[in-house]
Order: sequence, then structure tokens, then C-alpha cells
Amino acid sequence: MGCARDIVEHVGVPRFFYSEFPLGHSAGKPHDENSQRRTLAGALRLFATTTQPRTTMKSDQIWSQDDSWEKDFLNIQRLSEKEIEKLREDYKQQRATAAKLKNLSND
Amino acid sequence: MQRSKTYYAKLGYAGYKWAHFTDVPFISLKLPIIESRLTLVTTAAPFLSSAGNQGPNAPYNAEAKFFAVTGIPLDPEPDLRISHLSYDRTHCAANDRNTWLPINALRQLEKENFIGELSEDIICLPTNRSQRKTIEEDCPAVVRHCQRLGTDVALLVPT
Repeated sequence: MGCARDIVEHVGVPRFFYSEFPLGHSAGKPHDENSQRRTLAGALRLFATTTQPRTTMKSDQIWSQDDSWEKDFLNIQRLSEKEIEKLREDYKQQRATAAKLKNLSND
Repeated sequence: MQRSKTYYAKLGYAGYKWAHFTDVPFISLKLPIIESRLTLVTTAAPFLSSAGNQGPNAPYNAEAKFFAVTGIPLDPEPDLRISHLSYDRTHCAANDRNTWLPINALRQLEKENFIGELSEDIICLPTNRSQRKTIEEDCPAVVRHCQRLGTDVALLVPT
């Protein structure tokens, strides 16, 4: 179950239940039990119906009538140079933190 | 993917390559789903009190990362968060764990005999930025956990 269709299909998986939602909602919409149930049920149906690998089934749920959200994620064109510079510094620090923890976990 | 590549290149990290497989393994279910034992696999991380903000709207938090495949009992329900992952922080407040962790929905469908049963552990899969580590260490570890748990079907829900 997931939202990053291009990446999942590029990697290749046996079965993929795709929701066209913002990343972070692989299992359905927030505070919406019906959406979460329908998303899971759709994924489970794939176990029974799929006959070959790389099968994608798209959820029929819609995040919003306004699809502008799709253009926000990791869109460098929507950021100012100042924002990019801050992100660059933050990212460098986060990478250093991750590398340090990873090294500790390997000790 | 192209947008992600452009974004990270602008931040100084060019050349990231996603894994790509021409051959993808596939087997049909040995048992109907209503008789199968299902194991949930997640990229969410166990909450770490020492690791800073992992709550709703938390910025990306590398301190909350974990690096080894871990099996965690589903009862009591584990506190698994996504602050260590790259998701859409503009449009996901991360204030309902059911959007990345379908434990409640699985329990409901288990009660309704939609699936056979949930295995007693959930498997946490780290997002190591190393295809070698993922393929040679993490994937075999997931398989070992599934064998230990008697898994018939594994449901991967990545964030």
C-alpha cells in the first residue's frame, strides 16, 4: 500500500495498491475510518485477484477536488533562494546525524 | 521522481538512484486470504523519548531513525512514528497514525473474518540509504521474522 506510484513501480513489487494521496497517507485519509478501511480492503483484495507481478490497482478515492496539492511536494520551484539555503543547511545536519547514529548502530 | 532528483540535487545531493528490478518475484497465495496469517511490515519507527520531536507536524528528524529490522508485539499497540521519513509535510499533519499504520483497520477486518489472523508482531523495516544493506541484510531479516511468525502474507505499508 502506498502513495509514491512512480517510485514503487520503478523498483517493482508483486502487488501494489496505490492511493493518489499526499505521502504519509498510504493507509488512507486522516480521521476517516471509512477511507482507511476501504484502502486496506482494496489492498487485501489484490492478494486474491493478482495473477502476475507488477500489478497496480489504483484506489478510487480522491484526496481533494483541487489537485494543486500534487505540485507542492519537493518542488524546488516553489521555494525562495533563502528557503533553499536553509533547507540545504538543515539537510546537511540531518545527514550528519543519521550517519553518526548509523555508525553507532554498527559498532 | 524527477522532481525529487531536482530537489535533492539543489540541496547538494545529486545522483540518488532508486533500486530497479526487471524481474519481480511473485507467488499466488497458498491459502485464501480469509484463512491466511498476515504480517504487517512498516517503515515507521518506534518512538524514542530521547530523540526529540516525533509528533504531529514534526520536521524531518534523523535522530529518530533506526537501522536494523525489528519485530515488535502488536499488543499492546506499539507507538510507531514517521518523523524520520520524507513525506508530504505540507499536506500530512501526521496526527492520525492510522494513515501510515493500518493496525485498527486490520483488527477490524480480522474480527469480520476478512483475513485469517494478524501475526503477533509487526515488523519495522529501516529505510537505510544503501541498496546493498537493504538487499543483503534487511530483506533476509524480514524473511526470517516472517518465518518465525508463520506468515502467509506480508503487507508492506511504507511511508
